Amino acid sequence: MRFRGGYNVLLKGKPQSAVKAMPEPKVLHLPLRSERFTFTDIRVKNGQKVSGGDVLAKDPDNYEVPLLAPRSGTIRLKTVENHIVLEDAARLEEHADIAVKEMQHVERQMGTAGVKRYKLLSLGAWQFFYDAFTGALPDPLGTPQAVIVSTMSLEPFLTRGDVQLHKRLLNFTRGLEHLQSLLEYQPIYLVLPDITSEFANLIRNQIRGYAWVKMLEIPLKYPYDNFTILARRLNLKPGEGPVWAVRTEGILAVDRALTLTKPCTVRIVSIGGMGVNTPTHMKVMPGYPIQKIKEEYVFEPAARVINGGILTGKILPAETMGIDTECRGITVLREHEEREFLGFIRPGWDRHCYADCYLSSLRKKFREQFTTGIRGELRPCIACNYCEEVCPAGIMPYLIHKYLYAYLLEEAEQARVDLCVECGLCSYVCPSKIDLRKQLIDAKDLIAKEKEEIRQEQLHQEEIRKQQEEARKQSEEKTE
Amino acid sequence: MKWLLKIIDAVRPTFEEGGRLRLFNPVFGALEHFFFAPSTKTIGAPHIRDPLDLKRLMSMVIIAVVPSVLAAFYFFGLRFLAMIIVSYAAGLTVEAIFAMIRKEGINEGFFVTGILWPLILPPNLPLWMVALGVAFGVFIGKELFGGTGRNIFNPALVGRCFLSLAYPKTMAASWVKPSDELIGGFLTWVTPSLDAVSGATPLALAKRAVDPEMESIAHMLLGRVSGSAGETSAILIILGGVFLLFTRVASWRTVVSILGSFVILTGALVVGDAVKYPMPGVFGPVIWHLFAGGLLFGAFYMATDPVTGPTTNAGKWFYGIVIGSTTVLIRNFTGYVEGVTFAILLGNIVAPILDEIVVGIRLRRLKNEG
Repeated sequence: MRFRGGYNVLLKGKPQSAVKAMPEPKVLHLPLRSERFTFTDIRVKNGQKVSGGDVLAKDPDNYEVPLLAPRSGTIRLKTVENHIVLEDAARLEEHADIAVKEMQHVERQMGTAGVKRYKLLSLGAWQFFYDAFTGALPDPLGTPQAVIVSTMSLEPFLTRGDVQLHKRLLNFTRGLEHLQSLLEYQPIYLVLPDITSEFANLIRNQIRGYAWVKMLEIPLKYPYDNFTILARRLNLKPGEGPVWAVRTEGILAVDRALTLTKPCTVRIVSIGGMGVNTPTHMKVMPGYPIQKIKEEYVFEPAARVINGGILTGKILPAETMGIDTECRGITVLREHEEREFLGFIRPGWDRHCYADCYLSSLRKKFREQFTTGIRGELRPCIACNYCEEVCPAGIMPYLIHKYLYAYLLEEAEQARVDLCVECGLCSYVCPSKIDLRKQLIDAKDLIAKEKEEIRQEQLHQEEIRKQQEEARKQSEEKTE
Repeated sequence: MKWLLKIIDAVRPTFEEGGRLRLFNPVFGALEHFFFAPSTKTIGAPHIRDPLDLKRLMSMVIIAVVPSVLAAFYFFGLRFLAMIIVSYAAGLTVEAIFAMIRKEGINEGFFVTGILWPLILPPNLPLWMVALGVAFGVFIGKELFGGTGRNIFNPALVGRCFLSLAYPKTMAASWVKPSDELIGGFLTWVTPSLDAVSGATPLALAKRAVDPEMESIAHMLLGRVSGSAGETSAILIILGGVFLLFTRVASWRTVVSILGSFVILTGALVVGDAVKYPMPGVFGPVIWHLFAGGLLFGAFYMATDPVTGPTTNAGKWFYGIVIGSTTVLIRNFTGYVEGVTFAILLGNIVAPILDEIVVGIRLRRLKNEG
């Protein structure tokens, strides 16, 4: 399958490649919720002293993924809702190694390969793995049909792979080798922007003979780095087992966990967007106070802080005090305020749109100032077909929108709304300002819910039938 | 422009729920949003939106027809201004009434219909007919189907079709001679009208039974021929049309397939000796036909309306072929001299069917994906 659609939104505030080490915080606020995980199983007590790498909580629904203490300190529970607070945070005495006894136990139970997987999970590296088709956390003990390793982040603005790889190429290739040792013969696909580059050659030379890595070159167009799109591009079928997908930070974490047996707590997070004075990358740990980051980087008083990229990220609520464990970047956007006078007849030299309707299409590509403004009224679909043109999944958003408008859920299902990868481009380009992304996601959820209900109903029916049969048998036996 | 915004903010309560003039809320809203872009913000991902909105998209069409509008003034006199004003006034009234009934905003779609409508009319058409036609077109062709975005037929063409069927004589008598002075019609109200019996437009002249006559291609290219107000100057229509294609408001697929199928079919007819023209050669008559009548105007501005045309790209190709070939057939083998209006309306009818077929094929292909 080839790549389809895609579109690059050029926005001002691209983070620089330099990585800035943030000052050590005194207090960490670790959110108990992130994009995929909810750490409900809390393993520490109020006032308990912990050292770096200790398990603070686990997510029982996601293979017991641990929330690790990034620093040593004293625990305060319940002072802030939905957070674990770590006071007097200090870098010292980073205890790391898993207890020898426990290790031997694990080894007896699962073998050497099992130990590696156990290390990945308990040292916090497993949380960087995704199932390419569902986006969920894959089973750490499962066997994938393939592994996709992506070094790219094309959504504005997420932590870039090249920034993380700077001076860590050796760790990266070692991580790939470790990953390979978990597999039998399944291929690892390494996704790069240019497979003939010097960088690609370096990787090739370093890993030759150790890992079977197939390199895949993809154009630098959003959202071709999406794992679902990549899996479809590689013709991997969901029916043939899970596909593990992992980004640069994940491979580096694998290396750290398996080579050094150290917990993976510090990470590089980008901060970019229109409302940031010096967009850059920063080295932080989960729980790092957001207020401190804001003080340092955000200059706009009315700014929207987004956890993730500009097209798919979620607004960071004011209650969230610290960076969560899955944060891939912080984007700050100016809130739209003033109303533009006769905006639609302006020539638009510094404004660019998908359809070349502004004068700026005569000039070279440039990064534009964006705000949260919708800049237009909601109108009925005029069937301009822009959404289909940009859709990377090859579906027809306008068609599904029309079906949903008429409450034709079954037709929407036949139009394969489930193929949607939620990239947000259809909503972005729509001149009628229809929120297609939300509608498509809602439809997907509704269909999934209905299917689940039908399944439950069938199970229920089956049970009733079994009971009746048993009752009949019993009565037959009695009559006999 | 703060003072205007202040006035708008001050009078807003009168038009809102509970105010005295709440019935006119759509009109107020349209005026407000004409001057000031709305202040709505995104509530979730994606947090930014493309700056293009429907107002801008529709103004692109208006910008594209500006050369044709100027040409209409130049060739047929200043009366055309009155036609534009009447067209907007009558059409907007219908649009506003429906917006008030539906309690929805007034749609931008009408601003395009309002300017395209006088351009496809004979220049000396009585003004009451201008008003009647546009009101009919907007009412029957658009509002009854649910307004912009849900109409099946191009409202301007519905109006035009209605007028030419209901008042054929008045329509035929409303052609005027284009001005042949250097400053054109900029100083005259309306140029002298033509003899209604003798027929007027190049297509009518070529098709009349006695003594057929063909206008020179150069005149039709520049526009100094009789015809609908905006459709005579081929070169200006192409200029505006290419602008529309460049901005991607109009689909190049539709335009290419209309003109392509038209050229191929006309050429085939000339080569096969099915029709004879006084003009020698194959390409002479083909190019002549391309520039004659409303073909270019229809292909660039009418058929490319995204709402009434097919949405799928494959559908657009077939849609263009239907329009192009129907035009050739009507022009050469029926009693009508001009066939573009009917051809595009026919295209509008088949567009949903074409879409249905293409979507059906695509869905079958999608079935096995992912």
